[in-house]
Amino acid sequence: MPSASDILSALQSAFPGSIQESRVESDSRLWVTVDQKKLLEIAKFLRDKQGFDHYSGSAGVDRMADNLMEVVEIMASYANHNIVVMIKVKTPRDAPSVPSLVPLFWNANWYERESWEMFGINFEGHPELYPLLLGDDLVGAWPWRKDFKGYPDTTTGKRTVERVDASGLTSYRIGLTDEQVDSGQIPQRIEYPTFREREEAHIESESEMILHLGPQHAIVPGPFLLDVLVDGERIKKAFLDVGYIHKGIEKIMENRTYLQGIVYTDRMCYLASISNNEAYCGAVERLLGVTPPERAQYIRVIAAELSRIQSHLLGTGEFLTLLGSATYSPFQYMIIDREDVISLLESITGARITHTFVRFGGVRNDLPDGFAEQARKVMKMVREKTMEYKDLIAADPIYRKRMDGIGVISPQDARDLGLCGPPLRASDTPYDMRREDPILAYPDLDFKVISRKEGDSAARVDVRLDEILESVYIIEQCLDQIPEGPVQEKLPKKIKPEPGEAYYRTEDPRGEMGFYVVSDGSDKPYRVKVRGPFYATFQTFTPLLEGVYLADVVAIAGSMDACTSEVDR
Amino acid sequence: MVLNILKGYKMTFKTAFKDVEVTRTFPEFMMELPANERGIHELDATVCIGCGSCARICPNNCIEMVPFKYGNPLKNKKMVFPSIDFGRCMFCGLCVDECPVSCLKMGKNVVMAGWLRDDLILGPDKISVKRHTPQEVAALEEEARRLAAEKKKAAAAKAKAGDKKPAGAKKKKEEAGGES
Repeated sequence: MPSASDILSALQSAFPGSIQESRVESDSRLWVTVDQKKLLEIAKFLRDKQGFDHYSGSAGVDRMADNLMEVVEIMASYANHNIVVMIKVKTPRDAPSVPSLVPLFWNANWYERESWEMFGINFEGHPELYPLLLGDDLVGAWPWRKDFKGYPDTTTGKRTVERVDASGLTSYRIGLTDEQVDSGQIPQRIEYPTFREREEAHIESESEMILHLGPQHAIVPGPFLLDVLVDGERIKKAFLDVGYIHKGIEKIMENRTYLQGIVYTDRMCYLASISNNEAYCGAVERLLGVTPPERAQYIRVIAAELSRIQSHLLGTGEFLTLLGSATYSPFQYMIIDREDVISLLESITGARITHTFVRFGGVRNDLPDGFAEQARKVMKMVREKTMEYKDLIAADPIYRKRMDGIGVISPQDARDLGLCGPPLRASDTPYDMRREDPILAYPDLDFKVISRKEGDSAARVDVRLDEILESVYIIEQCLDQIPEGPVQEKLPKKIKPEPGEAYYRTEDPRGEMGFYVVSDGSDKPYRVKVRGPFYATFQTFTPLLEGVYLADVVAIAGSMDACTSEVDR
Repeated sequence: MVLNILKGYKMTFKTAFKDVEVTRTFPEFMMELPANERGIHELDATVCIGCGSCARICPNNCIEMVPFKYGNPLKNKKMVFPSIDFGRCMFCGLCVDECPVSCLKMGKNVVMAGWLRDDLILGPDKISVKRHTPQEVAALEEEARRLAAEKKKAAAAKAKAGDKKPAGAKKKKEEAGGES
């Protein structure tokens, strides 16, 4: 297995002069700054020759002081090794433009669209550079640039025009005055087809029509628009529109101190708040150079696994109800079980869903008295109940008819599409951050990475149910092994990391959750980028739903265990 | 096929007669809360030093430092105590962690319904669980005055004793300023 320095020397010998800066953080982390003209070639070299087949996302950073924009491409590997390479490209701030990676990695699409609409970085060769999360009004304001002053936009030459319409309501528009157009100083407002026009361009005959599922629909877990172009019962093409609950958490966190940022990570996805806390705190810990004490690591593992159990229980239960499992209603049973798990979490953290529990270099408080006995009791119950659900599902003919062989994703497709978490593992790819990155106490614990060969909707649910059993096993080991000791490393009162950057990833209930934090030496993070797990899975809906029956949309989309809040952030 | 469907009902029947507590008739029956519960804050006004670090750390800016009579004037010179707007509070507990004298805690009381928006703003008179009586406050104030007077006296004495030094320094400074 190669190490990060091997990859660096391979890069340097293949592209002499193109590697401008490099830093080997550890055996599994490599940071390189490359010449932007060579980016495509370097990414191709890494993908084809060095086994970096997993494009994990990209982030834009506005370096206003240097008059530069940075794009950070995160690349990893599914099976070849556990190295994460962070490729940085610099581009001038007044006309930022970098080559798009979409020709190499299909799933770079959304990440680049987001960077474009937030920073105004042009991606050359991107097939559909349309806004993703923002409303049309804000396009051209580039809200995540450091000089953005708020809405209505005042950055791009004070282009906002306040207008009173006929009904007496005030509206804001980012328009141009005639003088501005004549002088040619300010670029024209970006022209692009609207979502509706893009959809309707695909209608070819009278028999086709567009069916809306959402933004408010019984099957969707949060507001998002899934439009399907149907010809009879078959779906010809699917269209996704997200951003209905875009909260701008990444920008908010730039304006809060490091400690205050923890509370916002909770609210990205309340089913996974512990693992979001963990990912953010882990990244800041890397910046500060601290490691939590051993007891704190075990407590974090226990909390994270409990959170995984409750998330899978709720997700599976809700999904089975949507499928119409007629003979029993698993949602009610699973939520009763989840109640006990949540109470257990509450007894540790003090809150039921938004925990704000993990701290830099430790945890907020120690386990309460009598926790181990209570936890063992609940874990026994969860294990028995989960076995029972597995039995029930295996025997239910309605369930089997709706799920077996529906929405099959081959392992190669799953990797190419950039799926993550249980849907990826259901397609015979045992890729789990707990195994890839030796974080917390996971290297000391014995656990299997659950995977399935079939790759259909049923396999995705099976993976989740088996993961519950595996999490129960992990928690029981932790309760046996947990050492005595302090739970919080001593840190200065004011947290001010040295200038630098860190990327840290954990295994969310939905997959790979990564936090990329940039520090400029002040008490606030300079940039926080969330690489959400469901964001990656979500963009695969469009190709996956092509050609399936309309009735299977629920089975396929639901088996992914969606969380819109985390996609929109 | 039919047998398999009936198998699903097994679970229904098993749980139908079991004592499963699902819905509680709140507020008659309150669920049991753990000791760590993060509910409405409890303030120990006899300990609070009025430093305002809780107000500074609050991510939602819901804490305001307001004057309150029944604290300890020896420790809390300005006599200001936290008043919390529970309409904005998200119970993250950062204020509790940040408190240097551990006078702020979060209790098990989670009921805070009210008719008006202002009912949700709980001042130190509402959230303080421990406070001084007016007599104690008067005694403490007397003590504070005495200490302040003593300090003043000591400072005056010190100023007299070290009169030459600071005056000399001042002169030098003035000279330096004049030259430049």
